[in-house]
Amino acid sequence: MNVAVMKTRAEVALTEGFAGVADALPGSDEVRQARTAAIGRFAAHGLPHRRIEEWKYTDLRGVMKDALPLAVGDQTKTTIADVIVAMGALGRIDAPRLVLVNGTYRRELSNLDGISGVVVTPLSAALQAGASASLSLDEEDRGSQALLALNAAYVTDGAVIDVAAGTKLAEPLLVVHVRAGGIAQRTVSRSQIRVGDGAQVTIVEMFVAVPGSIADGQTNAASEVVVGANAEVGHVKVAMDLGQVIHLANWLVELGTDSNYRAFQYTSGVGLARNQVRTTFKGENAKLDISGAFLARNSEHIDTTLFVDHATPGGESRELFKGVLDGEARGIFQGKVIVRRDAQKTDGKQMAQALMLSETAEFDSKPELEIYADDVVCGHGSTSAALDGELLFYLRARGIPLKEARALLIQSFIGEAIDKIDNVAVREALMSEAETWLAASI
Amino acid sequence: MAAVQETIDQVKKIDVDQYKYGFETQIETVKAPKGLSPDIVRFISEKKGEPAWMLEWRLDAYERWLAMTEPTWAKVSYPKIDFQELYYYAAPKSTEGPKSLDEVDPELLETYKKLGIPLKEQEVLAGVQGAKVAVDAVFDSVSVVTTFKKELAKSGVIFCSISEAMREHPDLVKKYLGSVVPKSDNFYAALNSAVFSDGSFVYIPEGVRCPMELSTYFRINEKNTGQFERTLIIADKGAYVSYLEGCTAPMRDEHQLHAAVVELIALDDAEIKYSTVQNWYPGDKNGKGGVYNFVTKRGDCRGRHSKISWTQVETGSAITWKYPSCILRGDESRGEFYSIAISNGYQQVDSGTKMIHLGKNTSSHIISKGIAAGHSDNTYRGIVSAHRKATNARNFTCCDSLLIGDKCGAHTVPYIEAKNASAHFEHEATTSKISEDMLFYCMQRGLSEEEAVALVVNGFVRDVLQHLPMEFMAETQKLIGISLEGSVG
Repeated sequence: MNVAVMKTRAEVALTEGFAGVADALPGSDEVRQARTAAIGRFAAHGLPHRRIEEWKYTDLRGVMKDALPLAVGDQTKTTIADVIVAMGALGRIDAPRLVLVNGTYRRELSNLDGISGVVVTPLSAALQAGASASLSLDEEDRGSQALLALNAAYVTDGAVIDVAAGTKLAEPLLVVHVRAGGIAQRTVSRSQIRVGDGAQVTIVEMFVAVPGSIADGQTNAASEVVVGANAEVGHVKVAMDLGQVIHLANWLVELGTDSNYRAFQYTSGVGLARNQVRTTFKGENAKLDISGAFLARNSEHIDTTLFVDHATPGGESRELFKGVLDGEARGIFQGKVIVRRDAQKTDGKQMAQALMLSETAEFDSKPELEIYADDVVCGHGSTSAALDGELLFYLRARGIPLKEARALLIQSFIGEAIDKIDNVAVREALMSEAETWLAASI
Repeated sequence: MAAVQETIDQVKKIDVDQYKYGFETQIETVKAPKGLSPDIVRFISEKKGEPAWMLEWRLDAYERWLAMTEPTWAKVSYPKIDFQELYYYAAPKSTEGPKSLDEVDPELLETYKKLGIPLKEQEVLAGVQGAKVAVDAVFDSVSVVTTFKKELAKSGVIFCSISEAMREHPDLVKKYLGSVVPKSDNFYAALNSAVFSDGSFVYIPEGVRCPMELSTYFRINEKNTGQFERTLIIADKGAYVSYLEGCTAPMRDEHQLHAAVVELIALDDAEIKYSTVQNWYPGDKNGKGGVYNFVTKRGDCRGRHSKISWTQVETGSAITWKYPSCILRGDESRGEFYSIAISNGYQQVDSGTKMIHLGKNTSSHIISKGIAAGHSDNTYRGIVSAHRKATNARNFTCCDSLLIGDKCGAHTVPYIEAKNASAHFEHEATTSKISEDMLFYCMQRGLSEEEAVALVVNGFVRDVLQHLPMEFMAETQKLIGISLEGSVG
């Protein structure tokens, strides 16, 4: 049955709208060619839909009715104070930062002084210099291929972070994507993070909105991370209080020999989020920890999709995702761990847990294992349930009022995940954000 | 310890390419012409002397089948099946209405004897454990003989071939056939609905506890024949039945297709226990030949407080594609799934279960153990879902895989969908190889490596074996031995 699928309005707008903005996008001729090729790839795939196995629970073609106009060359009046307020509890962290407003690098809001061993460049500058190779990212599933192609075609800016070998950075490096202004727009950004051998660094990518800005928008963000041998990288993503947006994020991570990569993703107050992470073990004996917390209420929809590809021996992977779902919210966790034939002595563990606070919340989980090596230990687990009545009873029997007892239990549930963040300042800021969110549900 | 020693002996005796049931019985058969068309469907229906409504039903299924495409989502690969190259009907010639066992072709009886199936009633009565098992034997596509009918009839139990049921109990068949697995459920179910030639029918009346275990043996004998049997089991209010199913096939270079449909219906307070030992020919050690086992099995816990329990031991077939499922419709109903899937050689197994929680306070339990050896791939694929109204749904799933050797694969693909906050779902899975510590411990105490592996494997699958009826226990332990041969150092 060869039925030509009708293109949706959003797909038509995304494909045909390219010509109109192509001239405004940064990049050399070579980059422009790469962009044109990418829009062709997108046209061939269309938006991801539920007939693609990896997108079974997130039918983007159905949800994304229209494409918003691309945000390019932003000029909104945004002050440092706006940025700090938008960052919430994380605004209190005194650390170097690169700020993008509506997808455009804003030098006057950024503060990259005094960091040595790390070179941070806006992606737009790199593209002007002809770095087209960086646009050829690809994914295995057709749905994400399409989104990465869209990202390559439309990307306006982002951060290129080069950490020299042996560099040790104590404070985290913040990449802050801020939404501002009253126009609903589509922002397309990309970060490239290359960490040299033996370096130690924590990078926090944030997606936040200036209070009072329009609670609508579409985001397509991609991050490429290459972790060198023996390097230790903390990589945190925060997406919060964005309103009724469609937030699509793709991470592609490569781990070098003996490296240690610890990622954390915090998502709350986002209309629809798809956080996809693909990690590939390139060198032996690398360690990986991807964890996260997602908090959703009303009709919010948060999808976390992980691929952990153990291609080399001796790797260790840990995943722990916890979600709190209230109202009609829907949480999705898909985690696929592949252990290739050669990846002997792999040790993988995965856990996804959802706490449902309302009758109408939904949690769909698909923890998948695909194993071809025999000398491995792999496990996964998934649970979903309401608050445990017995635990509540235990606390209340000791004189703790119901409300506090509930708060205590939910906090400890989510805290277990947030505890995975190594950087104390980031961990405490996120815990306080989570508590603020939970206060409205208790 | 004795059992383990027995397993070891079995392992030594039988190699992968020395499939024990691989003989062929020379018996005259009546075959329909090759290929599939509405005429073949009519031919089968006529041969079975079916009423007109049944023919309509089949033709409708055939029409639906034509419009469907083969499913490709399972983690199995095989050359495309040419459905016009198969025979859809083959019946032993001598079975035109045998009145008693004496009229059954002695060759056939010999076949069943070789399979170790005691068809003669006195043999059953003289059985070692004294247990009575009523047997329905299906040879190629036709039910050959059903034993113990009279005794069962005394308690009101109907146990006969499905073609007989269509003649004798049309109301029951009409009411329940296709009510759990609809004609257009999936590609192979539609094919089965169009061409199924026989199978077993069981009806346990209200309040009756079936006095003995019921059992069906399936055997594919003819070359290039598909076997399409259909089983329908109904347990009326408060009834109980335990049903066993076994299957074998001769060794052939070509692949044979087996596409069965099993429907179980449990009304209020009823319980059905369905056990399978699947031992179709798995192909030789180079992956040549073997049975494609594409089966749809589903139980419907229709009444309150009903229970359906699936236990399966999967050791045979080149490709297995089957997901015995439970629809937990009635409040307080319960579904269980216990499975051991063992793959060796070039076998591919994609099996698991679906637990669909619809009623209140429903619970389900899944224990799945996969053992992969040789070049095989062993996948657990399952879904547990709780719908909006399924308050207090409970599920516990535990699926473990064991890898023996470095050329095989073990995969787990669970889908867990909770649309209800009071649903309590737990899933856990592990994959590992037999721990060297365990082997060392056993060998240090004087066991050989093979014995140690067998001991560990038997321990690994014990949770499931415990749920098998007594009759199958010994057989299964032997099967585990057979399937693992060639994988131990």
